This record gives sequence, structure tokens and C-alpha cells, in this order.
Amino acid sequence: MAEFGGWEMPIQYSGVVEEHSAVRDAVGIFDVSHLGNVEVTGPGAKEFVNSCFTNDLDRIGPGQAQYTLCCDDATGGVVDDLIVYHGTTDARFSAGFAGMHLVPNASNTPEVVRRLRAAAPGGIEIKDQHEDFAIVAVQGPKSQQALGDVGISIDLDYMAFTLVERDGVRVVVCRTGYTGEHGYELVVPSDAVGPLWDALLEAASAHGGRACGLGARDTLRTEMGYPLHGHDLSLDITPVQARCGWAVGWSKPAFWGRDVLAAEREAGPRRLLWGLRAEDRGIPRPDMVVRSAAGDDVGVVTSGTFSPTLKIGIGLALLAPPVAEGDQVTVDVRGRPSVMRVVKPPFVPSHVRP
Amino acid sequence: MIPENLKYTAEHEWVQLDGDRARVGITHYAQDALGDVVFVQLPEVGTAVTAGQACGEVESTKSVSEIYAPLSGEVLARNETLDSRPDLVNQDPYGEGWLIEISAAGAAATADLLDADAYGQLTAQA
Repeated sequence: MAEFGGWEMPIQYSGVVEEHSAVRDAVGIFDVSHLGNVEVTGPGAKEFVNSCFTNDLDRIGPGQAQYTLCCDDATGGVVDDLIVYHGTTDARFSAGFAGMHLVPNASNTPEVVRRLRAAAPGGIEIKDQHEDFAIVAVQGPKSQQALGDVGISIDLDYMAFTLVERDGVRVVVCRTGYTGEHGYELVVPSDAVGPLWDALLEAASAHGGRACGLGARDTLRTEMGYPLHGHDLSLDITPVQARCGWAVGWSKPAFWGRDVLAAEREAGPRRLLWGLRAEDRGIPRPDMVVRSAAGDDVGVVTSGTFSPTLKIGIGLALLAPPVAEGDQVTVDVRGRPSVMRVVKPPFVPSHVRP
Repeated sequence: MIPENLKYTAEHEWVQLDGDRARVGITHYAQDALGDVVFVQLPEVGTAVTAGQACGEVESTKSVSEIYAPLSGEVLARNETLDSRPDLVNQDPYGEGWLIEISAAGAAATADLLDADAYGQLTAQA
């Protein structure tokens, strides 16, 4: 167990490589209850959230989820990256959430809530439901079968969600995840998660799956090049630098950080998030210095690990232009130079959309 | 899990003395704490190592740990198999997962190391 964002989290159950392979080949289940839950309700809740976060909420409707960013208005730095679930009070949809339901990162939840409350007009209510809900991620090619085995038979599009009832418990099932595999995240009342977890673990085992910890979650997301806040995204790193411009609604009239981010995009960022793929036995780790072939410092590693799929070191790094795709760089691995290739992630193919 | 015939360091290396050769590895406790070992960096044969000084690294999916020389001497051999099978450190830490062999001048060389009982107490407290 390890402390992570104020939560006691399992790093591994049986071993990172074994758990990682279970998700790529079968199914893995993760307790990700450290993730926050924040409900924004009231008249104009959607418009309000859309005027704060970067992505364009008008691209989605009830029952759909969207990846977005909460930026600092003055600097454009990333306060948090999060998922917005577009709920509804319309009884014809059984989406499960009444308003705009936010799932921020554990340690950033209080700050996101604080900023929303400071900006919210009258009538908008922002409820921090962090400890009311548990979240269980079910990820991998056998995830749909495992859910079916516990009585949750569904067919959802990527980034869609729906409400199901299992043994009298309301479970919001979302086709979302952080592994690059076909998968689901289940939002369940905290006091009812125990039996669901046990049932999922049994179902997963029957399909060659297992329980997975934070270690495997990190190797899986790194193979996909997904940024982790605190490493590849932070108050010091903008979405333009982290190549998250796809999650920014540039044509929206307003969102936090719009002016400074639009200017940075126009001028060109001073550094960009790239993938690094080791050409020798080196494994990049956060904060290691990256040098060009000529020996100049060109940036720093933000995430790095051994890729259980590729059996080599991979990482993400913020690198200054003109460093670009295909370039060879060296990473200072505790005094030893390791040769790495600059690449565009993902490092392994994504299977989120079958 | 702690073989009686070996000597140990507080940094979780084990030492097996065979005449003037000392075989060195990391303990079961150490490999378990490290998790899946994916890369082992060992000193070249012929390198002089000093007791208590770092002489290599064991890297797992989770972290990197230094290997400390349990005694002073010259590296006589290294386990080349680990280059392709670093997982042997996890599978068989006291056997096929050994790391290096160092020249050692008899039993006196290991006199300062912990015996199995002392090492067992150390890891029980941790």
C-alpha cells in the first residue's frame, strides 16, 4: 500500500507485469475510489461548467462523457484534468447523474471545487461527493464479458454512460478508462461497493483476469501516452505544451485560460510533450535530463517506466523545439547516457474503440 | 525464507563464501519489496569494489535500487544471464538470480556481516 493523493492505495496485488498483461490480454479490475466526484447542478449548470473548463461541452449530450481541463485563468497552467459526465433531470434518460458530474483527480478535487464555487453564479450548486462514491475500473478485452457475468449486460459506445441497477444498488456504468483497452468505470455508492468488487473479482478471474494496482495503472497509461497530472500536466505545464489542444474548445467565447492559451498556440509553445523510446537498456524516469545529439539540454522526462508490452524503457518528456519526431536524444540515466528515440505516443495500439 | 548458510547486509544483499570467492545476490525480502525486476546493471569483471559502496543497480517496474558491495575485492564474475532474464532475481534470488562474485580473503572477509538470525530480526522489524 502507498499514500497517493491522501488515499491509501495498493501499488500492486500480484505484480505489476502480471497485472499489466491481464489488462492487455483479458481483464483487470482497479479500485480507483481516490478519484473525486463533484456534482454541479442548478439552472445553467452546463453553460457554467462550459465557461470554466477547456473542452466544448456542446459537443456532447446527456449520457455522454468528455475529457476536459481545468486551467488557471492567468497562466493557462493545468489545475487538473478531469472527466465531465453530462447528466440530466429528464426522466426519459436514465443516465444516473442529475447534473454535470465531474471526476477530478484525488488530490486536486478540493482545488477544483474551490475554483468552481468562487466563480459560480447564484442558483448553481457544487457538491463535493468524494466519499459518497467509490469507483471501480474494469478494463481489458474481456471487460464486457466480466460485467455480463455479474449481471451488468450493456453495449455502450466509447465515452457513453448509463444507469443500471444491480441487487438494488444504483451503478453508473461508463465506457471510459485510463488503460487504452476496451473498458468501463463503475460509479457506485461507497457503502455498496464491497459485494460488487467481490463479484467482479470472481468474474474477472474466470476470464484470466485479476485485481490491479496503481503500478499497473501507471505502466498501462504510459504505454498509451496518457498524461498524469502532477507529472505530464501541472500548473507549470499548459495544455498546448502537453499536446492536449484536442481537449480545448478554441472557438468557445470563454473558458479559464483562454487568452493566454490562444496566444501560446499562436506563437508556438516553447516546449512540447513527446514520447521517448529507449534504444538500449535504459529506463527513463521523471526529472531525468534529456540532451540532443549535440549534447545540449533540450528538456526533462516527466513520466517513465519499463514497458511490460514492449520490454523496453518508455517515457514522456517536455522537449524544446527544434527537437522533433524521429530525433535521437540521450537521457541522463543516473550518470549513464541512454540513447532514446523521440516518438509520438501511443507506444502500443489503442483498443478503446473496437 | 532466509537460508542459514548465507551472510547478509543491512542493505539486503546476501553473501555465500566459497573459498576465496564470495557470491553476492539480493535477498527474497529485497526482491519482494522491489517488485518485478526488469533490468540489472552489474560492475564489469575486474572492477575493484569497496564494502558499503554502490556497485550496480536493480531496476524494477516500480523503482531503482542500488546494489552495495558487501565486501571489498575484485569482481571475478557476473551473472550474464540476468541481461536477458532479469526476472530470475525475483524467481530464484538465492540461486539462479545471483548477481556477482567477488574475490574474498577467507572467512575474515565476511566476519562483519549479519548471520541469518540477525538478518531475520532486521527484516521482522521493517
